[in-house]
Amino acid sequence: MSRAFTSLPLLILFVLPLGASVVLMAPLFFDALAFQALLAHPQFWGALRLSLATGIASTLVSLILAIVIIANTRRDLVRDSGPLLAIPHLAFAIGLLFVIPPTGVVARLFEMLVTGGDQPPQWIAAQDPYGISLTLALILKEVPFLVWAMAGLLDRDDLRRVLQAHVCVAKSLGHGSRSTWFKVLLPQLLPSIIWPLVAVFTYGTTVVDMALVTGPTQPPTLATVIWRDLNDGEAVMNARGAAGVVVLSFVILCLLLVVGLLLRLGRSRIHGFYSRYPTPENSPTAILRQIWGLWRLSYLVIGVLLLLQSFSGQWPFPNLLATHFTIAGWQQLFGNFAPLLTTLCHAALASLAAMIACVAWLEWQRPARDHFVLLACGMALCLPSLVIGLGQYRLFLLLGLTGTQLALFLAHVLPVTAYVFIMLHGPYRAFDQRWSATASGLMVNRQRFLREVKWPMLKASLWAAASIGFAVAVAQYVPVQLAASGRHATLAMEAVTLSSGGNRALIAASALALMVLPLAGFAVAARLGRSRWSV
Amino acid sequence: MLELHNIDLSVGGRRLISGLSLNVAPGEIVTVMGESGSGKSSLLSYIGGDLDPAFTGRGIIKLNETMLNGLAPERRHIARLFQDDLLFPHMTIGENLLFAVPKMPQNQRRDMMHTALRRAELEGFETRAPHTLSGGQRARISLMRALLSKPAAILLDEPFNKLDQTLRQSIRDYVFSHIRARDIPALLVTHDAADAPPGGRIITLPDMKRGSDA
Repeated sequence: MSRAFTSLPLLILFVLPLGASVVLMAPLFFDALAFQALLAHPQFWGALRLSLATGIASTLVSLILAIVIIANTRRDLVRDSGPLLAIPHLAFAIGLLFVIPPTGVVARLFEMLVTGGDQPPQWIAAQDPYGISLTLALILKEVPFLVWAMAGLLDRDDLRRVLQAHVCVAKSLGHGSRSTWFKVLLPQLLPSIIWPLVAVFTYGTTVVDMALVTGPTQPPTLATVIWRDLNDGEAVMNARGAAGVVVLSFVILCLLLVVGLLLRLGRSRIHGFYSRYPTPENSPTAILRQIWGLWRLSYLVIGVLLLLQSFSGQWPFPNLLATHFTIAGWQQLFGNFAPLLTTLCHAALASLAAMIACVAWLEWQRPARDHFVLLACGMALCLPSLVIGLGQYRLFLLLGLTGTQLALFLAHVLPVTAYVFIMLHGPYRAFDQRWSATASGLMVNRQRFLREVKWPMLKASLWAAASIGFAVAVAQYVPVQLAASGRHATLAMEAVTLSSGGNRALIAASALALMVLPLAGFAVAARLGRSRWSV
Repeated sequence: MLELHNIDLSVGGRRLISGLSLNVAPGEIVTVMGESGSGKSSLLSYIGGDLDPAFTGRGIIKLNETMLNGLAPERRHIARLFQDDLLFPHMTIGENLLFAVPKMPQNQRRDMMHTALRRAELEGFETRAPHTLSGGQRARISLMRALLSKPAAILLDEPFNKLDQTLRQSIRDYVFSHIRARDIPALLVTHDAADAPPGGRIITLPDMKRGSDA
């Protein structure tokens, strides 16, 4: 097989569309009228403030909690966080809808235990004007991601050995566990999670689907304002929305640059931090050690609540359980089968295509070229989905693809490929070359070596990457909705549409389906990827 | 005085060290020799208090009349040097040194750091990053950092192993002279007899793999 040929799938499915999307955003910079219209929008400043507040708050709190969890939990956090990562943000936001708002479980419990009245409390609401519930939903979802990113570093063999030696030295110099953690381990971990943090921040600031479900409404976040404009029938509104995407991205970029600059300047001023002698040692309190367990529990609780709600008919306040149970919600969900089928097919297809593209690249391209693909992956993860989605939409318009299955496929495959490549890159490149030399020595050709040695040895990583790809595809909202142009619906799109309506059983059923699909993919992958010697 | 009484070390049911007793006087450097896998590094981990849980160790360790058994590593006042210099890569040379200085007023701490830099013959290197130093320079800083923590004993785990031949002799002399000047007991493990200080006591661990305990 020609070497150049094997790079084509990745270039065509991922790198070129990504590049084209970004380039096609450029003309938007020169639409002065649209910018004027945006600045004249009565909700603009309030919406921008809300977006930044939710983004900054969710990032900072998630980071602190992730650090506390990493420092105090003695478990295999990489393995633990996998399934939590697979659940789409959107399913989570909808789940919170049944926990927080006036008629949610929290309010019901509160009424039962404290006030004993039968009126839903007014002080508690899912779409609160400060974006608190949106921030909470973001935090619940981003903490496992940051935990996973840091735990993954600590888990790497080479790094672990060095860090263990560092811990040993720090202790011999008289530093206790906590001091060692904060002065020796954390400063070495933080620089390597800068990009995950940037991704968390841009996500929190620009998220659309979660904001539509749990975000404030008067004013909404800027991403929601933009989203309404983009989906408007009028071209003038579309242009204003596009200008909003440019402005929001620009503000985010400026903020990140300022933070980066401050960190650089601050570097020389933290002398005292390292030199201050051991902070007083108090062993981790029980509650700190339990945070991770509570986190996992909260996911379970939300799943159970969704399940209960999906079978609930009438559920008068303040009863803790519904008075009528029904399968109407599930009947309606399966009655409208097209979105479910579209999601299943496109998620499977996109992860398969991404796997082929990534394996072809990693197997036949020189490692020296990886950095440019990794850069593209970083871009795909750190750019707001509004930017990529809108750029892609403009590309599809240019090619006359909007509303086609091909456009839907391409919209899915781009983010999926970014995640699959990042997941596969490490294990694939770390594969010991001596296996291949051994096989050649046994007169085994390349194809047989791949089929019978290399891929079976890497199967856990391959299946894990595929299942992450599947989960990412199921969760896509912005780019897919734009590409579909109203002609197709996916499960995620259905769930967002439903969530503003009043059919709670159907809302819960669709959110649960959104949760179950990736988890099922995860379970299948874990089963298929396990070693033949494990029982 | 560092006292070891009847130390047993084993891993997975295999005895590595049995009944080792040893007193190391202040200023003395005792060398423990053994093949790889003889348990000599694990002996230092046992004394330092961070033996891998896969190993089991028994036997009393005393330092200046204090029992160390069961004490956390950071409370044992035992400094350690390894094959790698293990300077923290995210700290400057100055920060690496300050990291080890015990609690005292800030200007005194800085004085101690500067004294250490002078002794390492690296004045003016305070704000340099560890990776910009040569192997020999890093080895000297590593020793100075260990000594700044005012240790009551020091354990040396093949600390000259990764240095090239020309550097080895000078670093050896440097390390030994500074340890003697502090008048603290030191235990050196190595598989190279040339590493032992001239005239010092040498203890050779029996090679248990060949069944000499049978």
